[in-house]
Amino acid sequence: MTTPSSTTATPPTSQDVGIGRLLEEVQQAVSPPTRPHVVEFRNVSKTYNPGQANSFTAIRDVNFVVADLPNKGEFVCVLGPSGCGKSTILRLIAGLEPQHPATTGTVHVFGKPVEGPGADRGMVFQDYTSFDHRSVLGNIAFGLECQGVARNERNELARHWIEQVGLDVAKDSEKYPHELSGGMRQRVAIARTLILQPRIILMDEPFGALDPQTRMNMQDLLIRLWRAVEATVFFVTHSIEEAVFLGDRVYIMSTGPGRVEKELEVEPADRPALEMARVPRFQETVYYIRDLIAQLEAQANKHAK
Amino acid sequence: MNNASAPKPAPEATPAVPADTVVRRSTDGRSNGAAWFAFRRPIPQWVGILLGALCLAIVFGIWWFLTRGPHEERIIGYSALPSPAETFNRDQFQNLWFDNALTRNLLVSLQRVVFGFALATLIAVPLGVLCGCFPWVNAFFAPINVFGRNIPIAALIPLSFALFGIGEMQKVMFIFIAVVAFIMMDTAAAIADVSSRYIDTAFTLGASRRQIILKVLVPLAMPRLFNSLRLLFGLAFGYIMLAELVTEGGGVGGLGNIINVAQRRGHRETIILVLIVIPAVALAIDRLLFMIQRSLFPHQYGGDGFLHILWRGIMHTCEDVKRWIIAPTPLQPGQQAALAHKPAAHEPHAAPPT
Repeated sequence: MTTPSSTTATPPTSQDVGIGRLLEEVQQAVSPPTRPHVVEFRNVSKTYNPGQANSFTAIRDVNFVVADLPNKGEFVCVLGPSGCGKSTILRLIAGLEPQHPATTGTVHVFGKPVEGPGADRGMVFQDYTSFDHRSVLGNIAFGLECQGVARNERNELARHWIEQVGLDVAKDSEKYPHELSGGMRQRVAIARTLILQPRIILMDEPFGALDPQTRMNMQDLLIRLWRAVEATVFFVTHSIEEAVFLGDRVYIMSTGPGRVEKELEVEPADRPALEMARVPRFQETVYYIRDLIAQLEAQANKHAK
Repeated sequence: MNNASAPKPAPEATPAVPADTVVRRSTDGRSNGAAWFAFRRPIPQWVGILLGALCLAIVFGIWWFLTRGPHEERIIGYSALPSPAETFNRDQFQNLWFDNALTRNLLVSLQRVVFGFALATLIAVPLGVLCGCFPWVNAFFAPINVFGRNIPIAALIPLSFALFGIGEMQKVMFIFIAVVAFIMMDTAAAIADVSSRYIDTAFTLGASRRQIILKVLVPLAMPRLFNSLRLLFGLAFGYIMLAELVTEGGGVGGLGNIINVAQRRGHRETIILVLIVIPAVALAIDRLLFMIQRSLFPHQYGGDGFLHILWRGIMHTCEDVKRWIIAPTPLQPGQQAALAHKPAAHEPHAAPPT
């Protein structure tokens, strides 16, 4: 996917690093596109409280495009330090306030501007957002209930998804969220989203609060589920290992205000997270990105002074 | 309530100490005397009951001391305060129960509170939900709520006679006015307290605004809201005494009226007995409501959640009726396929391919 930039005359060169490949420039939209892009950000900026003393620019002039691949969704990881506007990008795609709408620029999803949230863009949050008053089954069936699907049908499908995310139908379906561990809650959150067959899945550091072992198990689960559902995933994280393991494509952001600085293409993971972490080529990519981020931060600090 | 569930110190946890060792301090470094003043240290249930009984004994002891002996020699005269023995005797109980019709008057008072409170709940809870969801609604009602929360409620009694007459209507409306602003503000606070991440989640799961209010915000706010309503009901039960004590014309009935009549007749014993009945009834109501609260929200308080299950059953029935009128939405093809491909355990031909 080395679509040449529409703004530069010379074709970009790229650089191989381990299992990844750093693109010379962040991919831009070609016009006209052969088919609508999954997501396209064009000169997107978001400023909170513009014109006031406490005005704050979260992201400035963010440009990127995720092309639509036939019969395959891409796994896009957004990597960057805290406060670089990763979540802002995700919530702009989701159409959630107050990030939505963007101050300037346009956010397009499948060729149409984002007008508000919808079930076609499911989202999993870092904070546990299971509905406390609903059982596991009731939580997973929530979206279908809102659509008005008959109770026996939605419960049957919900039980299917309880199995898909590795929970036990007999034991867990009538449990309430407070009886679940963090990992189990996130499994419920993933099932609740995937049951609606979203074309885009937005994940905002979903495993950030989990212990390392659970986190790796969840990464493996997520890869398995994602290959089955053919959706595009946007996964925000500040763990480089997580981004390289999960991502087909990694965006690296810098702070103050947030920008997408670099884009990498990464080979898909061919083994579980625990084993992947020992592969030298995998580590090479991780170290490379670590240096890259340090370099970007040094540059940003120089600009600040 | 918490005493019962507090963990009791396990006796086997005490480390074995050789017989010749003199232990002056407990293992956590606190001396035995300091145990009384250890912050937030739980006490055994029997100690709690004993301390409560001790307090009662002291109160009654002082009362007995101040009113002992013949009428003329007492520290506090009989006309001001009868002695415990004069208050708690069969004649006085009979007088209260039969001559003053305690049960009937209690029910009259309760009925007024329930009607006024129910009316206030029906109006204030939906408005409070809107206040909690939309700041502009909150801003609109702010003046009424500021007035309702800051007006000393007793000051409204004269006006309530002018507006609602001297009958039942005045008592019910007095309770309504007394609690409506509080219910509204507490509802708004309970709704506003639900983290907005639940709203975001519901939006990304395709819920409409109406569904977010009814299926997410209200149910998640419900435990806190019910708790507020329980406390406010106790408050309303106190206010009804006020409405029954301050009357125009007699014979309005209710516990407050018993006090009024007894006061006029000089029956101090009856007044004291009613004063003991009122908190006892208030406590009983509060505990009953708390039991309902526990049963409604097992995810908050544990337990079997009988009323929660009952409520879910009612909701399912409502949904079935709705589906009967509006046809259910079919599953999408992909979702149906997911169910169809699911290997059923009872089908022998569903063996996995090798």
